[in-house]
Amino acid sequence: MTDTWYLYLFFSAALVFAGLLGLLARRNLIKLFIAIEVIAKGISLLLLGTGFAKDNVLTAQALVVTFIVVEVSLVATALALIINIYRQTKSLDVRKLAKLKG
Amino acid sequence: MIVQTALLVGLVLFSVLAIVLRDLLKSAISLAVASLLLGIIFFRMNAPYAGVFEISVVAGLITVLFILTIALTGAGDEVRESRLVNWVFPLVFVAFIVIDALVMKGLLGKIPALASGGETGSFGDVLWKGRTFDLVGQIAVILAGVFSVLALFRKRDKHD
Repeated sequence: MTDTWYLYLFFSAALVFAGLLGLLARRNLIKLFIAIEVIAKGISLLLLGTGFAKDNVLTAQALVVTFIVVEVSLVATALALIINIYRQTKSLDVRKLAKLKG
Repeated sequence: MIVQTALLVGLVLFSVLAIVLRDLLKSAISLAVASLLLGIIFFRMNAPYAGVFEISVVAGLITVLFILTIALTGAGDEVRESRLVNWVFPLVFVAFIVIDALVMKGLLGKIPALASGGETGSFGDVLWKGRTFDLVGQIAVILAGVFSVLALFRKRDKHD
């Protein structure tokens, strides 16, 4: 069972790291959000992979379903925010958000 | 095991493509394919409910929301990405994969996780009886999401 667990942990760590790299490297707001989604995929894989390896699939599944619901709510709010930012600044560049307008 | 590994490799590949590709639409579609692969992986791990949620909600709804946002914001072509990133990203990622492969096995024994134990009952029993508080939290989160979207898209008065 350890080999299965190792496999899932290995790939979920790769997903989380790819997402973090994307967050550091990209400047487009939508791209940044896609990177966050990739991190979320890594986390759900980690949850279910651990549940599967430890014979607790049902609990892990319940947690993943909860996580997906939270993720959808987050995506809806964040994309609405991004559209509002685009209306204000006419750009999706994250560097333009560094200026405070008062 | 081989099929599962191939699916996992595909998942990582499409996720990396979603971050690396320049075209936002292609990125969103790559992310949807990655979600589809993750859903299939969930099915193969005897977790059909999580698989259904992943495919219908994440691969379906979230992709539609992304494409809608890309259409509304004019694809964000004006954002200039750093060129250095195109070289640095794959190098750092491959370095991490190597470190991951070497270190993860040693870390496995140190990670505190649920004790192994067979579960009884169905998914419904676990969700409704064992994780009741999560359901209340889910309802609260959905309501918070709905209200925040409504607040963000409200029509402003003229003197605002």
